[in-house]
Amino acid sequence: MLREEELKTFVDGTTRYFEVAAQQPATIGSPYLLEGETAMHDYTGMINVSGKREGVVYFTAPRAMLTVLLMKMQESDFSHESMRDLVGEVANTISGNARRDFGHDFVISVPSVFAGEKPQISQPPGARAFVIPIHWRSHSAKLVVSLT
Amino acid sequence: MSSGNPLERRPVKLLIVDDSNIVRRRIERSQQFDDLQVVGTAANGLEALELARRTDPDLVTMDLTMPQMDGIECITQLVKLKPAVRILVISALADKATAVEAMERGANGFLNKPFSDRQLNEAITELMY
Amino acid sequence: MQSSGADRIRRLLTAGAGALLAALMALVLIVGFRLATRIRANVALLQHASLLEAYPAEVSQQLTALRERLGTLEYTGGVHQELADSVAGFDRSLAALERRPDVDPSVLRAVGHLWKAYTPVLAPVLAYSGEPYSDTDFGSSLSVSGKIYYTQVRRAELFAQGRAPALHRRLATLSAALQKRTSSAASRLRLLLSAGVLAVLLLGAAAAYLQLARSRGERAARAAEEQTRDILHTVREGLFLLDADYRIGAVWSQALNHLFGREDFAGLTFEELLHGKVSPATLATATKYIKLLWGERAHENLMKSINPLGQLEVMLDNGRGGKEAHFLQFNFHRVLGPKGVKHVLCTVADITPNVMLARELHAAQENANAQIDMMVSMLHSDPLQVGGFLDTASAGLKHVNAILKEPARSHAEFSSKLAGLSRELHSIKGEASALNLMSIAQRVHHLEDMVEELKGKSELTGNDFLPLVLKLDELLAHLRSVREMILRLSTLKDGASTSDGTLSTPVLRLPGTERPNGTVELATTLQGLARKLAEDHGKPFKLSLEGLEEVPVNYLPTVKDCLIQMLRNAAVHGIEPDAVRRAASKSATGQVRAQFRRVESGCELVFEDDGAGLSPEALKEAAVRKQLLTEEQAAELDNRSALALIFKPGFSTRAEVTMDAGRGAGMDVVAKSVYALGGRIGVSTHPGRFTRFKIALPAPSQTAVA
Repeated sequence: MLREEELKTFVDGTTRYFEVAAQQPATIGSPYLLEGETAMHDYTGMINVSGKREGVVYFTAPRAMLTVLLMKMQESDFSHESMRDLVGEVANTISGNARRDFGHDFVISVPSVFAGEKPQISQPPGARAFVIPIHWRSHSAKLVVSLT
Repeated sequence: MSSGNPLERRPVKLLIVDDSNIVRRRIERSQQFDDLQVVGTAANGLEALELARRTDPDLVTMDLTMPQMDGIECITQLVKLKPAVRILVISALADKATAVEAMERGANGFLNKPFSDRQLNEAITELMY
Repeated sequence: MQSSGADRIRRLLTAGAGALLAALMALVLIVGFRLATRIRANVALLQHASLLEAYPAEVSQQLTALRERLGTLEYTGGVHQELADSVAGFDRSLAALERRPDVDPSVLRAVGHLWKAYTPVLAPVLAYSGEPYSDTDFGSSLSVSGKIYYTQVRRAELFAQGRAPALHRRLATLSAALQKRTSSAASRLRLLLSAGVLAVLLLGAAAAYLQLARSRGERAARAAEEQTRDILHTVREGLFLLDADYRIGAVWSQALNHLFGREDFAGLTFEELLHGKVSPATLATATKYIKLLWGERAHENLMKSINPLGQLEVMLDNGRGGKEAHFLQFNFHRVLGPKGVKHVLCTVADITPNVMLARELHAAQENANAQIDMMVSMLHSDPLQVGGFLDTASAGLKHVNAILKEPARSHAEFSSKLAGLSRELHSIKGEASALNLMSIAQRVHHLEDMVEELKGKSELTGNDFLPLVLKLDELLAHLRSVREMILRLSTLKDGASTSDGTLSTPVLRLPGTERPNGTVELATTLQGLARKLAEDHGKPFKLSLEGLEEVPVNYLPTVKDCLIQMLRNAAVHGIEPDAVRRAASKSATGQVRAQFRRVESGCELVFEDDGAGLSPEALKEAAVRKQLLTEEQAAELDNRSALALIFKPGFSTRAEVTMDAGRGAGMDVVAKSVYALGGRIGVSTHPGRFTRFKIALPAPSQTAVA
């Protein structure tokens, strides 16, 4: 079962990403448990976790948020590919940073990215998914953590 | 690590390795050194080795989590290929063992993602000047 | 060593003083020897000079004696010989004095001159070798040669008498000069010796002083060494140096011995130190890291930031033949010399207590989960009844999650969730404790505590809700475990199998409609809760229930919630302690009654207790204390309105929070659920006599009637 400080690792990793990459920290909304299927935003970057812990971590965000984020990162390419790239990178960074606390055995995959299509998310049996809304400027995204 | 007489200083040739376009462009953009010249960008380890062979870079920024060939493997082969090259790892992987592993394979510096322009410049300065 | 410079200087000085002493003594000896030689020579000269001085008088006397003997015709041979000896002696001594450095040559020349004048007169005398006397029958007389001899002696005698004083004077001068020179050389020698002794004494003193200073320096060095040893003995961290071969140096702190349970570390490699104590992978990482410390590749700060041994789990001997897990914190500092890294200073601290504390906290949490089995086995309740509760609780928690899910960004939005969360949790807790499901009730209570704490916060953010959602997850997992246990229990009881896969679904569906005895269950629940409350609060009371079987199925959850809350209020606030009841001549056992009946307009639920009743004044005071009213507003409130305060959200007259009351989320929940069904609620009371709630509900809609 996920411990508070473990969940906090992901949450802090996400808010820090925005702070460092776009000089403006994100805040988190009211967290809750996922029931049924979650509404995905336009782009979803997903990391599969294996080793010491099993599960998935994904970051799903609307196109509008990603566009502003890219702008803040001095990007001028707002193509579909750029969006996919960005959500993948965010998911990768959040999961990679989590190794600081989970250690070397927290093995993370290269990001899988979904846009539009329904993501193939295989939640580990027995693990509940925590949904943490991420607010940044006027936009909202979601971080979903489901780990054994 | 001064490169001696500034008059004799030739531009430092930089190779950027990261599977994310955005990160690659960000590194390209953020470097503010007049004498840093990007000679190539690669999206995975295999491409990186190929480019290193052709462009003979002085400095390589290296992601670790990449498809096809990851950064650790790439570093191992790169230092064999170009022993004088300096490698700055730029990765999201934040555990100590990974950093030690990368350094042991031949990296010269380690910078965690996400990074600010200032952090990147500091890391490069520390490595090259 | 800080004192090495001064020390070296002192040692040099001591050596210099010794050499100087030796040189000085050699010099004194050489000069002294030369002076002494000269004095000895002068003393010999002085002897000659004094002899010379005596000769002139002697020669005169001998000449006189010779003449007198000739006059008296005595034997002259002896005196003649003596005179010859004297003249020869004078010549010898004069020759000895010639060309000597300390003899004034002018005086000597004058003496020689004077002496030479003697020669013409003395020579004939000395040359005489005849017989001076001639013997006849008439007696003896001078012979012819004797007469001449006599005349010559007489002449010499007169000459010598005349010249002797002058010669003597010259010789005295010579002698005195020699004497003076000799004594001045002697005094020089004395002076030299005195100076030499003085110098030796001075140098000796200097050497002694330097030696003293040196030993003082050595003492300081020894003291420093001792201090180093004391530090190494006392410091609580393991301290040691690693050399370029990754080997431990010659000194280390005592703490290292305790940490690793061995005495000798000198020459041990870092790898050997950890070998068999950590996993091979960790050992490999550690070794790589140590190697990197020597390279110039990485800066100090980077090396510090990637230190993989900041919290290293090692298996150490526990001193009783076994192994024990410890957590060690290694820190490394490069010691730089002129040629790069000279050593690496390692510090090791045992941080096991800190780590264990954190682990224990976590373990305690896990342990609480593990106690579920025990808790469930103690359940007296009907599994079906508990199943019903689990349904309601799951639904309630679902609602809790739904409240959490409502988007929120501002403090106000976050804050507005709290009241709803409180209400939901409170009613779940009420039912849980009614069923004596204490493990659930406690968890919900804990969650309620967390919500209460948030109410006091001035700036709420999503971060504050993270512990809440985790606790909620844990609670749901707990409910799942309880449900599984109940299922297992009922399987055991019924001997029937229900292995239909329902276990894996988070919420087991046991709809109320499948339970025709829902109202019977309600009665059992309430009686159980009444017994428990009476026991917990030490207030015996009897609960009578009437007409509950009349409750329509779709009203059942609300009626149940209301009755549980009112029952708890009755037990906590209504029924007085034993002593108070006795004083008021009431029966020892309190009376609580609940009656449900169908009336024309729909249904009516009456709940009353024969307890202390409600005091409008106390209610007003509580409302002011809770800042629901100002004092002025309270003063203007009539009794009716004062009684209505108990339906206000956040109102409770209990000062401290217990499991049963005090949250202030009691009657407002009841009121709210009554209003939700389109009903009304009223209260009437008489201080010291009773409190009565009357709830009016509309007739249940046709479709909902069972």
